[in-house]
Amino acid sequence: MFRRRQPADADAFGAEVLRYLESLYATAMRLTRNRADAEDLVQDTLVKAFRFSDKFEPGTNLRAWLSTILHNTWRNRVRDAGREAVEVDSTRLEEAETTAEGSSASETPEQLLLRNTLDVDLRAALDELPDVFRQAVWMRDVEEFSYAEIAKALDVPIGTVMSRISRGRRMLLDQLRKTRATA
Amino acid sequence: MSECRRIGESLAAYADDLLKPAERSEVERHLAACPACRKLAGNEQGARRLLRQASPELLNETLPPGLRARCEALARERSATQLARFGPWWRVRLVPVLLTVVVMIFGASAFLSIATRRSDALLAAQLTADHSKCFKFLGPPDGTSADARNIERMLFEQYGWRVHVPSSSADDDVQLIGARRCLYGDGLVPHVMYRVHGQDVSLFVLPGTERKADDLVTLGHRSQIWSRDGTTFVMVSAADAGGMASASRYVMREAR
Repeated sequence: MFRRRQPADADAFGAEVLRYLESLYATAMRLTRNRADAEDLVQDTLVKAFRFSDKFEPGTNLRAWLSTILHNTWRNRVRDAGREAVEVDSTRLEEAETTAEGSSASETPEQLLLRNTLDVDLRAALDELPDVFRQAVWMRDVEEFSYAEIAKALDVPIGTVMSRISRGRRMLLDQLRKTRATA
Repeated sequence: MSECRRIGESLAAYADDLLKPAERSEVERHLAACPACRKLAGNEQGARRLLRQASPELLNETLPPGLRARCEALARERSATQLARFGPWWRVRLVPVLLTVVVMIFGASAFLSIATRRSDALLAAQLTADHSKCFKFLGPPDGTSADARNIERMLFEQYGWRVHVPSSSADDDVQLIGARRCLYGDGLVPHVMYRVHGQDVSLFVLPGTERKADDLVTLGHRSQIWSRDGTTFVMVSAADAGGMASASRYVMREAR
């Protein structure tokens, strides 16, 4: 038979979900890049999380579960709005990468690290990445999800996740260099 | 497939240190011999380090005002719903099946003090957002009509409000489908949901406040505002919904 969550657990579940509010909002901000949409997205995520709380398996990663709901909600909303993220042409990317590396203004990753890159620069650089790369890099390096968790949340194969992370990270570094060069 | 391309597919896992020893040695052998790939791998590792170093700050966005309060209200609402579901039989019966929400006792003062200061346009925009959200995300529970007296009893027992909720009216094509608590305004305003000519229609009841009558279009929705005996009512429907006149008259006449 099945076991339903008891009322005492309900309060604990709610409190646990609320602990992740800031990080959910931070993720929503990187996805939507706009405060009003981010706020809506977080709220809708919580409505769904509470509505489908019996689907959550106690003892598993609640943050990953919530993040998956948030990403799904956003993906559906983008699709409904006819703004489906288009896979970026990989040849064009490789060309862009080569050009950036050829420029004399380029700094090594270590130099960027030593310059104590500001979070605000990082957020701005992340926001410049095409959606699919920003999402993959954010989930891996900021939210620290496994490839499998990201693949599930984004509904793409693990190989695609890895290649998006790889490219996304390199594009991010290029973007930071550009910011520095123009600063 | 060129060697560089093949190695390129392993660079994410290489930076994450997730490769098996044999795969790792293979990547390192290639990187030692290939400056272009070495550079790509270096950049990737650099970006990874930067992000992981900054992740606590990146994840710590300041929440906009009101968001935490609204989310806490959602959590309380859920907790209350669970209580209703697991409570004694008389309690489960008392809360109509359609009203799966709302078992909290709230004072409305916080929201109403804001609402009464706001312009009609702001109030209409806020309630229009709530109208769309409730219908879109929680949706009408099902196609059946709800009993107005049950809803009134719930509003009184949970909030202490005596509200006369207009019941379904076949003559005016008005179907009462349920009521819930607003997601907006910190969840302090009852929201009665109807179907009129196949359109979603909301009636919001703001006790303890009087506003001048108004009829305005905001965000593609028509908001009709009126007051009676110290209570403000706002009826929200899609602006282009035809055939609403008799339904509006009916609801305005009956709500009190």
